[in-house]
Amino acid sequence: MDLRNFYHRLSVDESLAEVRGYNPYYLTMNSGLEGKISVNGHQMIDLASNNYLGLASDLRVKQAAVKAVEKYGVSLCGTPIATGYIELYQRLEENLSRFVGLEETIILPSCYQANNGLFSCIAGPQDLIVVDRLAHSSLIQGIKSAGSKIRPFLHNNLEHLEGILQRSTGYRQVFVVTESVFSTVGRIAPFKEIVQLCEKYQAMPVIDDSHGIGVLGKSGHGILEEQGIEGYQGIYTASLGKAIANSGGMISGEKRLINYLRYYCSHLVYSTALTPVALAGIGAVLDIIHSEFDGIKKKLVFNQGEIYESLLEGGFEVVSSQAPINSIQSGSQNDLYSFRD
Amino acid sequence: MIINLEDRIILIIQSVLDKRPEINLDSHLIEDLMVDSLDKLMILSALEDEFAITIAEDDFADVLTIKDIVGKLQEIV
Repeated sequence: MDLRNFYHRLSVDESLAEVRGYNPYYLTMNSGLEGKISVNGHQMIDLASNNYLGLASDLRVKQAAVKAVEKYGVSLCGTPIATGYIELYQRLEENLSRFVGLEETIILPSCYQANNGLFSCIAGPQDLIVVDRLAHSSLIQGIKSAGSKIRPFLHNNLEHLEGILQRSTGYRQVFVVTESVFSTVGRIAPFKEIVQLCEKYQAMPVIDDSHGIGVLGKSGHGILEEQGIEGYQGIYTASLGKAIANSGGMISGEKRLINYLRYYCSHLVYSTALTPVALAGIGAVLDIIHSEFDGIKKKLVFNQGEIYESLLEGGFEVVSSQAPINSIQSGSQNDLYSFRD
Repeated sequence: MIINLEDRIILIIQSVLDKRPEINLDSHLIEDLMVDSLDKLMILSALEDEFAITIAEDDFADVLTIKDIVGKLQEIV
């Protein structure tokens, strides 16, 4: 054992960035998301953030955040189970539950933590977790931490999923895990059919609606509203840092599940509570969605169409998307770097 | 039509690895087929179903090529 070996194996291959004289990662932003953004001193149009509804710099959201800081300060310096559970937090849990149409909700510092913390609480070695092949890293990492048997199914492939469910007997519980919107290509999961398969085989559905909440559905309430899924008995997670334009993550579902997580989800119990700024900001965004979603969604759809057409005209290979995402196929990593030229 | 074990295994692996180059016994899982940890799980699951066996992931931790998978399976099947 040699301490130098430890640091030696942590090396990162940045050769391509060095050859190109440009690293697209960790760019320094000199502005917020209002209007054109400033990146390394250059004014640019933001097509990369997840600020779907453009509410991250909305004056009403900023004012709500400022008001919360004036009342509570910048942090409660405690976990929700101890000193971090302010009335704003409790009220937001209730609002989020109503928003997605589920019984109860917990709020974590990020959806990555929500997805990471969920599975080790609810699943173990006696269980099987069936997961979409293209599910997000946070779900995969969370699933692996549970020690359950894992069976990936082909992306959005109901036939393959049902085959696995048919053959999966003898487990304490089978979970089926997917995302509503797969963000790299904007594809939407056939979640209503997945829920029906889960009902047929008594499996527990788990959906990550990070790119659907605030975007999908006639009122922006997400995948359950979009696909008309009523009486959902499964588990729901979502990011509050995309269309909801703040930070944090949520887990929603039946009261028994959420109450259990309140005491046993270590990612919640041992993390400093979400700040008053974010709690108030999320509340303000939900209010705006409630009153203005129609108009914002029309603008979102219009902008996506315009950008899509412009990218095609510019000679880019753009993936046809079911969600407000325009994904450009670059080919190799080397080709990706040349996009900037 | 009767097919041999090697071809049967290749067919199974092809069914779960879409958009990959041609698969043969010498295909290297990572370098040629870009198989990641989830792909590997999907391959093992498909083989479990095909041969009605239970596979311990650890037994396949060191496989590098399709030929290695065939070898491991011949020990089990």
